[in-house]
Amino acid sequence: MAEEKLLVLKNIRDPGYAGDLAAYRKTGGYTALKKVLQAMKPEEVVEAVKASGLRGRGGAGFSCGMKWGFMPPPGDKPHYLVCNADESEPGTFKDHLLMVGDPHMFVEGMIIGCFAMHSRHSYIYIRGESMYAIRRVQAAIDELYRNHLLGKNILGSGYDLDLTVHPGAGAYICGEETAMLDSLEGKRGLPRFKPPFPAQSGFDACPTTVNNVETLANVPFIINEGTEAFAALGTPNNTGTQAVCISGHLERPGVYEVEMGHNLESLIYEYAGGIRGGKLLKAVVPGGASADVLRADEIDIPYDFDSLTNAGTMRGSAAVMVFDEDTDMVEVAERTIRFFNHESCGQCTPCREGTFWIKNMIRQFLDDAGDEALMQRVDRAAGNIIGTTICAFGDAVGGPMQAFVRKFPEEFRKHFAS
Amino acid sequence: MPTFHLDDTPIEFEPGENILPAALRAGIEIPHYCYHPGLQVTAQCRQCLVEVTDMGNGHGIPKLQTSCSTPIADGMKVSATSEKAVWGQTVVNEFLLVNHPLDCPICDQAGECDLQNFAFKYGSGQSEMDYEKRVYGWREVGSFIVLERNRCIQCSRCERFSRDIVGSHDFGSFLRSHELTFDTFEDAQITHKFQGNLSDICPVGCIMNRDWRFKKRAWMLNKTRTVCPTCSTGCNVTIEHHDNRVFRIKPRENPEVNRWWMCDEGRLNYTYLNNRRDRILEPLARVKGELRSARWEAIYQAIGHRLQEIGAQGGQVLGLVDTHATNEELYLMRQLLREGFGSEALHFPYRLGAQQEQPPRPLADPFIFTLITTDKSPNTAGALKAGLIGDSDDKRLKAALKAPPKVAFVMGTPFVDDDGVRQAVAKAELIVHIGTFRSAWMELADVVLPGYTYAEKWGTFVNKADRVQRIQPAIKPPEDAEDPLRILASLLELLGNEQSHAAAREVFDAMGQQAGPFQGLSWDAVGELGTPLIGNGAPQASA
Ligand SMILES: Cc1cc2nc3c(=O)[nH]c(=O)nc-3n(C[C@H](O)[C@H](O)[C@H](O)COP(=O)(O)O)c2cc1C
Ligand code: SF4
Ligand code: SF4
Ligand code: SF4
Ligand code: FES
Repeated sequence: MAEEKLLVLKNIRDPGYAGDLAAYRKTGGYTALKKVLQAMKPEEVVEAVKASGLRGRGGAGFSCGMKWGFMPPPGDKPHYLVCNADESEPGTFKDHLLMVGDPHMFVEGMIIGCFAMHSRHSYIYIRGESMYAIRRVQAAIDELYRNHLLGKNILGSGYDLDLTVHPGAGAYICGEETAMLDSLEGKRGLPRFKPPFPAQSGFDACPTTVNNVETLANVPFIINEGTEAFAALGTPNNTGTQAVCISGHLERPGVYEVEMGHNLESLIYEYAGGIRGGKLLKAVVPGGASADVLRADEIDIPYDFDSLTNAGTMRGSAAVMVFDEDTDMVEVAERTIRFFNHESCGQCTPCREGTFWIKNMIRQFLDDAGDEALMQRVDRAAGNIIGTTICAFGDAVGGPMQAFVRKFPEEFRKHFAS
Repeated sequence: MPTFHLDDTPIEFEPGENILPAALRAGIEIPHYCYHPGLQVTAQCRQCLVEVTDMGNGHGIPKLQTSCSTPIADGMKVSATSEKAVWGQTVVNEFLLVNHPLDCPICDQAGECDLQNFAFKYGSGQSEMDYEKRVYGWREVGSFIVLERNRCIQCSRCERFSRDIVGSHDFGSFLRSHELTFDTFEDAQITHKFQGNLSDICPVGCIMNRDWRFKKRAWMLNKTRTVCPTCSTGCNVTIEHHDNRVFRIKPRENPEVNRWWMCDEGRLNYTYLNNRRDRILEPLARVKGELRSARWEAIYQAIGHRLQEIGAQGGQVLGLVDTHATNEELYLMRQLLREGFGSEALHFPYRLGAQQEQPPRPLADPFIFTLITTDKSPNTAGALKAGLIGDSDDKRLKAALKAPPKVAFVMGTPFVDDDGVRQAVAKAELIVHIGTFRSAWMELADVVLPGYTYAEKWGTFVNKADRVQRIQPAIKPPEDAEDPLRILASLLELLGNEQSHAAAREVFDAMGQQAGPFQGLSWDAVGELGTPLIGNGAPQASA
């Protein structure tokens, strides 16, 4: 099996690793936090993360250090860092692994982030269905309180921090950062229009940063090994490693950690063992259901943020979904739009009505009642959701639906009315 | 003031203002649903998309922006009519029709429906939706409103109103995606007193005024801008009528008085305007103990004779008015007593009002609860300012009545429920009653002169905050009724007083030129939104 480049999965790959505080400490855990609290100023931490080139692993790939830098200097309002552990993007299961396998790593990163952004109380918002992850993370937090790594005067530094685990109630949209903040406030999770951005007015209308679990899990490495060591991994604008979730018609689906820029085809064939039963590949959805599908002949590309954007799709949440030659792409389209229709929060007209309309149109194909005009109508309706909504969900459904009809028209033609 | 450009129009704006309100203020319509000036911005319907071609720094924004939520920057250039902006508005409109039942022919909102209007303007006229739409039933959700959820466009105005304006939290969102629906929790009924506003702010025919349902097509209605007489707040309203029948009353925006709102009591207080059964339809004179219809000239002659017979001049002449009378009527009534009889005995029931409703829970802005007052008349402040005699126990009237009056002029239904007052006044040798509906005063009167309701006449009221506001006629009065101002002028003439001004405008302008509460004001200055009193309410000098 091809070799992984281990950073966030380093401990998890050790079969004897228990994931508790003692085990984590044995691997050098919380030395980064110690270093930060004893020898660094908050601004220096932000600069280090900026210099490392770390980009958010939750979906958009925005510079983590820049985002931290948007937070205002300490004022009369509390500052918050909310860890996005909602992980609901179809095909994504890396954060779950990180939380269950090595909860202390991302929590250490989070405490460092809180220190860097002057937060005294922050939240970990975990998808409600992930009961096991919730328990594991809560247990880790409890250990930290017992060992003075959370609470008052952490490691004698004078820095106080509380962390609270908050389970979600199972809505995909609560993974969108502003909907998550609404949900955390006890409201219906509805994405907010921007501006204002969370750094100006987030949780409880206070300065807030939202970071993905994996993003935070990278932070201890950056502090311990240095920004250059991190930036040396991956490619210049896409630094570090990534935990890629590969699923579908594969011999060995799973999470594989590779450097940014690793070839997508290699991920599928060398890491995930290729297509199950020696079948041929038909399609790859490379970044969660929100990413535009690639045809089999489009996958010989580096797997990172910029390369996938150049290929007209996105790395998203690093969820690579692989479909073999027997797959009916219209069924994939239907399953995708059914999901999005079900999960649209319903605020925006294009998203609310468009997902319903497109679902009905795709179903008309499945009833073998399609035609050329209907294909164009799917394309047009999907295009009309892009760029007309409050949150990125609209783009994330419009793009993929257009891609299905544009890249696999012959699949749709098989469902034309005879 | 800083300026931005909306297409070719330069518009000045307040720092912090968003594009849509500034555009509307400048008279430029950008289609919109979820935005309402009185409610929190949610930018969710996406109908108001515009293209920002220059943020004021030479750079445009590639994505269309919702004009309701986008703050203006100095030097900004915005287009609501560019190809891209119109594309955005058109596709949103098309999406809105995906699940809309398009039952305009049986929808009461038709004709005043934003969706219908925008669809007419932007729509292709064709539907490509041949799937089953989302279907819900209709039901009554309050004493005042009916919910027809199929027509909902999920703008959430109703939810924000219920949560932020009345704090009732009884109307909100359920489910999500295309099933997102707005309703009461567990079919509960709405009980607050501001339900009608929900039907006003609902941009489509989803929340309907139950009272108005199926009664009239909206485009047939004529609208008259006036003031609600149901309490001392004097919410600005429009009376909506057709064929001389009033069909409904709606609030009219006035930031100083009622903002966009009114209460349900005021809204429902129109049915009596259509009532002809209890209306005094013609002048009546008592002949041998019985009221008989008479012609106006005959009536005036008879009054003249009686006054001579009684020798009223110098005797006890009493005037009683209620606080539904306009300032102009009070003024002429005062003149009638003074000029005609040298009497200052003009009494009114002085009932000070207070806020009637309290918010169910603390609200950031409990404004709407200040609207309803316990004084259920429009012009108590006017009577007070004019220096009429009144106190909360009617002590001064009762003292005056110890000596029975010779003549009494009773306008409206003042003190009508007070048997003592009625019995004392009944001793007068002549009772002249100016009224609109049958009352106990009519039973006592020797002469009954049919006047106009507030919906039939011009005039002014002074509200609880000392703001003078104009009313104007919406419908025609009964054929044989007469404007009370004209009646009072005729009575003055009868007493040898040359009366030149009988129109409310002239009376008001005359008052404006004298010392007193209206000094310095004119009818035109009062305008359609009213104006605060300048004078401090010294009793008026006689003309
Ligand atoms: C519809 C939608 C769903 C999302 N779901 C998730 C999610 O489940 N987990 C996540 O980390 N980010 C999710 N995001 C991205 C977040 O909004 C946000 O960008 C991210 O959490 C920021 O963290 P990062 O900068 O560390 O990546 C979602 C975004 C959208 C538009
Ligand atoms: S785009 Fe969809 S999910 Fe996002 S806010 Fe709008 S309706 Fe909700
Ligand atoms: S009921 Fe009316 S006001 Fe409420 S969301 Fe629907 S359309 Fe908007
Ligand atoms: S609050 Fe008063 S003035 Fe306003 S509508 Fe109600 S009754 Fe009329
Ligand atoms: S009016 Fe602006 S989005 Fe609804």
